[in-house]
Amino acid sequence: MSNLNYLNDQYYLLAQSAGNTAQETAEETKKIVSKITTDKLVQAFLILLAAYLTLKILDKLVIWLSEKIAKSWRLRVKQFLPFLRMTVLTTATVILMNLFLNLSPENILAVTGTVAVALGFAFKDYVSSIIAGIVGLFESPYGVGDRIKIGDYYGEVINYGLRSVKIQTPDDNTITIPHNKIWTEAVSNANAGALEAQVVTKFYFAHDIEINLVKKILYQVAQTSKYTALKLPIVVVMEEKPWGTMFKLKAYPLDARDEFSYQTDLITRAKQAFAKHQLPYPNLSAVSNTLT
Amino acid sequence: MKQKAVTRILERFKSWLAKQRSFLFSRYTKDSQETQEPERSLLELPPEEKKKLLDAVENLPSNPTDQKAIAEAIDQAFTRWQEDPSNEDNSIVILSSPVTAVSRILAETLEDWTQQKQLSLKLLPVTARPDEIVSIKAKLEHYLQSPASDASQQPEVIVIPNLNWCFLRSLEGLEGIEYLQSLLYDSSKNRFWIIGAGQVGWEYLECVCALEAYCGEVFTVPAIAPRDLQSWLAPVIEESGIVFGTPRIDKQLLDEDKDNQTSYFEHLADISQGISTVAVQGLLKSVRYQEVDNKDNQDDTRSETKKLVTQTPKLPKLPSLESADLYLLYSLLLHGDLTIAALAESLGDSESEVQARVQLLRPQGLVQQRNKVLKINPIYYPRTKQELASNNFIVNRE
Repeated sequence: MSNLNYLNDQYYLLAQSAGNTAQETAEETKKIVSKITTDKLVQAFLILLAAYLTLKILDKLVIWLSEKIAKSWRLRVKQFLPFLRMTVLTTATVILMNLFLNLSPENILAVTGTVAVALGFAFKDYVSSIIAGIVGLFESPYGVGDRIKIGDYYGEVINYGLRSVKIQTPDDNTITIPHNKIWTEAVSNANAGALEAQVVTKFYFAHDIEINLVKKILYQVAQTSKYTALKLPIVVVMEEKPWGTMFKLKAYPLDARDEFSYQTDLITRAKQAFAKHQLPYPNLSAVSNTLT
Repeated sequence: MKQKAVTRILERFKSWLAKQRSFLFSRYTKDSQETQEPERSLLELPPEEKKKLLDAVENLPSNPTDQKAIAEAIDQAFTRWQEDPSNEDNSIVILSSPVTAVSRILAETLEDWTQQKQLSLKLLPVTARPDEIVSIKAKLEHYLQSPASDASQQPEVIVIPNLNWCFLRSLEGLEGIEYLQSLLYDSSKNRFWIIGAGQVGWEYLECVCALEAYCGEVFTVPAIAPRDLQSWLAPVIEESGIVFGTPRIDKQLLDEDKDNQTSYFEHLADISQGISTVAVQGLLKSVRYQEVDNKDNQDDTRSETKKLVTQTPKLPKLPSLESADLYLLYSLLLHGDLTIAALAESLGDSESEVQARVQLLRPQGLVQQRNKVLKINPIYYPRTKQELASNNFIVNRE
């Protein structure tokens, strides 16, 4: 009997303690969250609107400016955009928090802890992407204007958002990739902030090709292309394959944006020269016959 | 006797150049159809005033400062080579801006220079890039082949008036340069080479074929000083009765102690970067026909007459340019002058595509066309060069 009474007392105490904790939490929350008034809601709406408009204006202004100024400054100006965006978003968030929360040091700790746990469960990937985006600003695996490859997607970075990066593919598709890919995927960056990006163009010939002639033609093709950045090296490398000899012409266009026009120009003029010299291409049917 | 023959050759060459390529060698050039800068500024002039001014400009000789500097450089290089003919440096390259007719200055300079020396002079008689660029190598072989036995021969001076006409940026267009390289490498000890070239073309050839390694000295025509510019243009000023107007307020504050004329030429030399052709066009563009207050000191009466008055010289702004325009303008600077067909080959584009682009640039004033030959309007040269340099093109050796 006495044991039963003891257990009852314990349950009562536990229930009382839980009730007290809930009451304390409610009181703490009351302390943190200031009184929500219509005036404050209007202010918050105006702040959000101002932040949204500022972001839109900044986007347009920076992109417009980067396209107007000298090409050598284009990427530097564009890559400044994510920092500006982050500044605007952080400022807006701080103002909003200041409006609705009583931000004493203890309160900030309590709020960030609570919010972090809540958001961590609810928006795990979203938060991961935002954090990756902030890390990416300083680690710079890619910036606006860079030509990158993540997974199967290749293109020019046209927007660096809070959560994701937008790239424009050669087919003019816009692909949105969350920043958290940088945790797990390899990011290949062709120009890393530079105006030029190496273009590798492959040419295939039969094994008995006149190597020096091909190399001379390829060097001259690159040297006489209007797109070539002549201050950067032009290299021809070759590789033997079972079906023929592969030549790789590595050169840089003056502007990475001209990558595909450049490649087309190189191939067009090289093929004209190959035709003139009647250089033999690999005979794949002969190779497949031998294999069978 | 020999000297007379050389002088005769040079004179004939000069007149031939002028006749063949008057568009390129003219002090005042204009597009055959479009009204461009600086002629737009001259529209308000009465026809007789305009003619007088343009004739005076047209009759200007090459700038004597340029000639003197080139003659000195050639003389020094030649003396050095004569003292030690085994010296590998048996050539001098004279570089000028792409809007300067280097061949004209060279021909005028060599006329005086050869009168002092007893030399056998061999001029490459090429006044334009051949229509079929493949033929340039054959032409060079024909004119520049070394004599069979050169041991007993006298020193021979070979003059290539403009290297730009010996190449085109295309697959077959560099064969002439390759041949020249081989000549310069295996050159006879009795040969001294004088080569004129444009700076942008030279930089390109240096990147592509390391041509400088085969040549001795490379001399760049220096920028003209304001005082030299003033004395060179003095006949035009006197003949046309040009009055120097009050400079802009900022110039007045900066050049307090200088008279209008000195201040004007300092500014003109500055904006034209010391390039004669640009300076001449700058002068024409700055001239206005306006009323001048004349005060008679004797009877203290005032009268107003219309005169040619200069304003502060300035370069016109570049119009908005697309990427394709930049490639085209660079190609023109690279080669100095081009026909549409050669320009299309140099760009790797079709003729119709290039023609359309040129038709857009001509009314804007950047490109001039005459007798199917295209070139950059000199007054736009400094700004075009700056624009190209800031867009990753190699235009000079910084």
